[in-house]
Amino acid sequence: MKLYCLSGHPTLPCNVLKFKSTTIMLDCGLDTTSVLNFLPLPLVHSPRLSKLPSWVCKDGTINLEKELKECAGRVFVDSQPEFCLPERELLDLSTIDVILISNYHCMMALPYITEHTGFTGTVYATEPTLQIGRLLMEELVKFMERVPKAQSATCWKNKEIQRMLPGPLKDAVDVWTWKRSYSMQEVNSALSKVQLVGYSQKVELFGAVQVSPLSSGYSLGSSNWIIQSHHEKVAYVSGSSLLTTHPQPMDQSSLKNSDVLILTGLTQMPTANPDGMLGEFCSNLAMTIRAGGNVLVPCYSSGVIYDLLECLYQFIESANLGTTPFYFISPVANSSLEFSQIFAEWLCHNKQSKVYLPEPPFPHAELIQTNKLKHYPSIHGDFSSEFRQPCVVFTGHPSLRFGDVVHFMELWGKSGLNTIIFTEPDFSYLDALAPYQPLAMKCVYCPIDTRLNFHQVSKLLKEVQPLHVVCPEQYTQPPLTQSHRSDLMLELQPPPMPYRRCSVLNLPFRRRYERVYILPELANSLVPSEIKPGVSMATVSAVLHSKDNKHTLQSVPKPPPVPPSKKRKRVMEEPPVVLAPKPLLSGAVPLEAFLATLQKHGITEVKVEETADGHILHLQADDTLIQLEEDGTHIVCDNNEPLRTTLRDLVLRFLQKL
Amino acid sequence: MLITHTHTHTHVSTMDRECASLLPSVCEVLADSGRSVPDDTSLEKLLDWFTGLTEAGGSLLEACPCLLKFISTVVHNTASDPGVLSFTLRLTGLMAATEDGFKMLQERSVLNQVFNLQHWQEAGLWDDPCLRIGWIQGLRSTLQHPKALSFFVQSDFIDPLLQLQTDTSLFVASAANQMLAHILLFFQKVSSAGSNGVNKKEEDLEPPAITMETSAEYSAVVKGISEYLKESLIPKENTKLHQSLQILKLLALLLAQAGPPLRDKLLQTVTESLEELVTAGCSQLTLPLMDVILAANSSSCPDGRVPGQRVARILSSMLSINNAADLCHAAAALLRRGHHDTVHTARAVRILLLPLDIITGPTLLGTNTTADEHLFSVVEQLKSKTSCISMICVCLTNTPQITLTPPGVLPCPPVLIVTAVVSLLRICSGSSSSSSTGCSEVCRNVIGSGKVQKCALEALTALNSSPGAKEKISEVFTILIQYLDNPDSDPTVLHKSYQALVKWIRVCTDLSLITDQLRQDLVEVVKKRACDMRWEVRDSTVEFLGHLAGVHVSVTLGEEVCDASEALLGGCCTTPLLKEALQDTESYVRASAISALAKTLTHSWQQGAALTEDQTEIVSRLLEILSQDTEGFPRRAVVQYFISWFFSRSSHSPPSSSTSSTSLLMQCVRTVLSQGSADLDWEVKVHTLELAELLLDQAFSAHRGYRKGSDAHCALQHPYGVVSDQAYTLHTHTGTHAEGVQSDLARVVEQGVISALLSGLVDCDRPVALKACRLLITLRETICPLSLGALDATAAMATVSCELLGKGWGQEITKILGMEKSDRALETDISAQRSFSGADGGGDSVTVSEVLRSLSLDERLEVLTQSSDHIHNSPLSLLQDILTASAAHTHPDTKPGQEVIVDCY
Repeated sequence: MKLYCLSGHPTLPCNVLKFKSTTIMLDCGLDTTSVLNFLPLPLVHSPRLSKLPSWVCKDGTINLEKELKECAGRVFVDSQPEFCLPERELLDLSTIDVILISNYHCMMALPYITEHTGFTGTVYATEPTLQIGRLLMEELVKFMERVPKAQSATCWKNKEIQRMLPGPLKDAVDVWTWKRSYSMQEVNSALSKVQLVGYSQKVELFGAVQVSPLSSGYSLGSSNWIIQSHHEKVAYVSGSSLLTTHPQPMDQSSLKNSDVLILTGLTQMPTANPDGMLGEFCSNLAMTIRAGGNVLVPCYSSGVIYDLLECLYQFIESANLGTTPFYFISPVANSSLEFSQIFAEWLCHNKQSKVYLPEPPFPHAELIQTNKLKHYPSIHGDFSSEFRQPCVVFTGHPSLRFGDVVHFMELWGKSGLNTIIFTEPDFSYLDALAPYQPLAMKCVYCPIDTRLNFHQVSKLLKEVQPLHVVCPEQYTQPPLTQSHRSDLMLELQPPPMPYRRCSVLNLPFRRRYERVYILPELANSLVPSEIKPGVSMATVSAVLHSKDNKHTLQSVPKPPPVPPSKKRKRVMEEPPVVLAPKPLLSGAVPLEAFLATLQKHGITEVKVEETADGHILHLQADDTLIQLEEDGTHIVCDNNEPLRTTLRDLVLRFLQKL
Repeated sequence: MLITHTHTHTHVSTMDRECASLLPSVCEVLADSGRSVPDDTSLEKLLDWFTGLTEAGGSLLEACPCLLKFISTVVHNTASDPGVLSFTLRLTGLMAATEDGFKMLQERSVLNQVFNLQHWQEAGLWDDPCLRIGWIQGLRSTLQHPKALSFFVQSDFIDPLLQLQTDTSLFVASAANQMLAHILLFFQKVSSAGSNGVNKKEEDLEPPAITMETSAEYSAVVKGISEYLKESLIPKENTKLHQSLQILKLLALLLAQAGPPLRDKLLQTVTESLEELVTAGCSQLTLPLMDVILAANSSSCPDGRVPGQRVARILSSMLSINNAADLCHAAAALLRRGHHDTVHTARAVRILLLPLDIITGPTLLGTNTTADEHLFSVVEQLKSKTSCISMICVCLTNTPQITLTPPGVLPCPPVLIVTAVVSLLRICSGSSSSSSTGCSEVCRNVIGSGKVQKCALEALTALNSSPGAKEKISEVFTILIQYLDNPDSDPTVLHKSYQALVKWIRVCTDLSLITDQLRQDLVEVVKKRACDMRWEVRDSTVEFLGHLAGVHVSVTLGEEVCDASEALLGGCCTTPLLKEALQDTESYVRASAISALAKTLTHSWQQGAALTEDQTEIVSRLLEILSQDTEGFPRRAVVQYFISWFFSRSSHSPPSSSTSSTSLLMQCVRTVLSQGSADLDWEVKVHTLELAELLLDQAFSAHRGYRKGSDAHCALQHPYGVVSDQAYTLHTHTGTHAEGVQSDLARVVEQGVISALLSGLVDCDRPVALKACRLLITLRETICPLSLGALDATAAMATVSCELLGKGWGQEITKILGMEKSDRALETDISAQRSFSGADGGGDSVTVSEVLRSLSLDERLEVLTQSSDHIHNSPLSLLQDILTASAAHTHPDTKPGQEVIVDCY
């Protein structure tokens, strides 16, 4: 059993598990942090961005005037932003049988995997994962296609040149493999390969293994996966949460007793408690509005935003913010808000029960109804006529490199009254803000990551008791910036197996058993003999028939009777001669009794030597050895066949025949 | 009049005739086992009454001879209810408390019957804890004189009593302990009489009559008890732990109060056992054992006698026991006791500082911590999360105490302890880097622990007075601001951080110690917390702003003093935040904001500063709250706001110009009085009356004879005592006095004070009516002294009148006045006739002085002063209750003894 690790990002995993005869890809997360190296894509022409000076190498040897721009001491690539894809050289992606998706954040690389690689398999995901995943992909494509860039910078990727570049660009890895966004057509094609599954539904893969998704509590339709055969069980834990937010709670008990547990998707912010962050979010928001400023919240169009809106729903009244408008701007804003209301069966119990009342599960419906929350596909059109300040704007993309957020950064960045509040944990806020410097706007970082923290995961692992744990190497040491926090790492016995991008792990367990079915008529013909109370044995002669990874024992076909024929025919094939099988022996030779028997037969000079596995009897007079071991008995007796036969018979006396 | 006044005392001290006549039937009811028994509380009350009678010096036997019969009836009837039996035992004890009573009871052999153990055991009643406790308490009451001691000894009660000390019922066990202590302590002078009498001077109570006989008996008792203590102190197995615990408690009790002979005797007997107990190292006994040792140690004289040295040795071994957690507790106990022996205190301090030292990195104890032989065991304990947190909390709780120990005892300068607590707080918040901290395995146990954070913040708050605190101020501010900013701090942690901040601001005489960056950070964090999602946090923040305004500091040395909120927050932040908080959805926050505003503005009020736009705005918002807020707290706060405004103003200059804040205040007062006295909340009304009182004080304090509110209370005890004296002096100045009073009175009426008082008087809430009544009486005494009489009322006085509304309280007052009027139909009072003429439902105008005289205020005060349950609390009603209850319960169907008897005393 092997695990190929195609992504080094712990929360955007992409691993391939070879298990029995199947090749299963676990998630295909897209690392979008690469876009931080690019200049933002403004929706409206930005004089500031267009006037940025080109970067010039100190010694003037390199001239990449068109590709690299400098802003506040940092260098950015002036080109369509590109993403860092999962590793595609480690194994042949066309051999992948299935892809299991855990949540909509972990499927963004799907089109890169399923298209143009020869992939012919199936993708399994829950319905909300598929639908919201589609929305996020659609949004991404729209963000990119709305502001096409004529040129595509590639010169800077030249290894010789990259080495000379400053800052984070120099250290960026695998830049040659970075790719521009996919098209809507590719998205559609990729998503057409998705087969929907429900929680705890069991899906057979080629008869070899069974996979089933379990609720993971992190987002709508998010799941962990169980991959099991009759004798082995692998648990794949991706983004999971134990907090009571909107999704169905995490199913922990089904993870019990796995041989291997692959652990990914822990919180990226182990020191930031989501409740505290939510409080921080609200108070900073209120503070800004009271002072007459605007609040910008760069966020994804699904996920934590539902919880933010719910929290604000309660908060705005108590903070006297009832008259402040809230805007949600995204090409998919409408669908996202509506989808969340219809996936009742995927919601937490509390919200599920609301479905039976004349009341939508999420309170944002009421915010929309009372005109407190308004949503628009973009800043163009209706929004510009209804826009009122001070206000709160939720919009993407959280990297601040594309999407409507870029416009608001340009609009509000100059005033110290305004505040930008980061809630998504995926991007470093300092890096995100780099191309906007100098910035007068107040910045608040309160990342809300509801995924498991180290304390919760230790408790979880104690309960579910996997034999082995595999996890990204980042989880096996304290965070780089807080090396004293030994509480922020996994400490397990046996220690977890760490992986990094491009690792290939041999998972530490051997498959020892396989289930074989036996046909009734064959079973009928068996003659079991009891070898110890409760345990019977029988010999079987049969033909093993294997199909679709199912193994069946069938009776040996009788040779067809030779048809009476007058024609003399050369027998082409001798029917297999079925020999009566030799009886099988079982039991052990007890040393004392055996010595006594030897003595009776006149063999007296026996020297007994104890070995690691049993005994060696040295019949000194006859220069003969008898090795009595746990799983075999050897008689070494040259040139004395009668003695050998005698000895053999004596040994046989002590053994049972089957 | 006088009789009614002392009425309440009467029924406690002597038996009135009515009660005496009821008592026999009550006894009958109680003695009749067939009748149902009144509940426990009435028996308790009855006993309380009897105790009161006895303490007042009366003889129960003489006052109620029926009790004797009652006792013998009950005692002989084994079917009696255990509750009644217990009551009887205690009653008997009460009666035998005097030598005469004892003698009489003994002559009739009642005592032997009542306290006969065998009798109760045979009757199967001893199993009831109720009875056992009755037996103990009865005996305890008896044991007030040598005769009782003889009785006790001769009856061989000492052994059963010792057994009861480990009774299954905690109440019984505790009572037995108290009883044992009582015997030894009460009669201890007996023994000194036998010997040379070391401590003759210390006699406090009258010594029991001493005879050789009692002395011998006492010695026997002491011997018996101390032998028992010696034997049973060591737990034989784990189950006997309870016994050791009890004995330790008893010993602590005894040693704390015993005189030298008894104490020495006790110590001689038990020291060995104590030593053994210390070495046994039983965790559960650590604290009680420490109590005993400390009691022994502090009572033993420093003259170096042998027991003293031994006790000191035990104490030393106690401070070197193996279990680190127990050790901490023992050390803490020593410090709490305020023990002054430097060797042991120093050791205790080291023990308590060690865990702190381990966690925060070695600074406190120097480098030689390895010398602390228990270092290893402490580290081991600290590695477990639960014991780590509890140990650290014990240490933290004691740090303020530690810094107060003499310099020679401390292993480090006190300021280092502040540093350690600050580092610990840093570690707790997870922000400390590894280089500066101690053992990382231990540190991770406290990261994020709310309990440790709270303890550390409390310790830090208390450490503000430790020497050298001033140099740490910037460090302390930094960590506190960090805590206030931390999103994970829970509301209590934030609250404690604020408290600590206020305390530490008081430390700095010179605010230049706090950098601009810190001030800016503080402003930011306070602004943020004022918008917090949790109302508790907003409340603490608003409160903090108020406290800050109350602290006065100088900005730089020698410069002008201003309040801390202005100095720290720049002044521009406080008022806007508080104004915002007036709109808060949570009523507590609104209330806190109002009182914080009052504190913030006090200074400018006192200075008589000109009115700002902000202030006018606040005032109108406050009046809005008073009239519209649905919750009581903010409305109460509004009235108090005006009270403190009035108070701060009046303590300084009188109202000057119309632009001053004082003139606005006087405009508002009328509204506040009328709104406040019409409020639904009684506390708002009481506060409104307090404001009215201030106005009265202001108007009349210049006049002779006016008693300010503060003296009014004592005056009420003798309503007429002062008046006659006053009347005399007033009489001589009638002319000018009356005119001054008249104009003042007119102003007070105009302000609405009289209306507020009158409406309060008829209020259905007793505290409101009482307050109003007292104030009206004070007013009456000022404007129409009694001796002047109704006929002497000057014409000037009669012209001041006030309006009575035709509904609500006005109607009520009119009604009362009407009744008075009909009573005095014969009198010819022109003004009164005029006042009552317009009875057509509109507003009536009445003369104030007339109203004051006609309301029978004194009678009202009489009624209002008595608590609302005064009728139900009298012994008479108690006796009646018992009789009625029994009559009601005596139903053919009721079977006796069906009620569940609960072990509650």
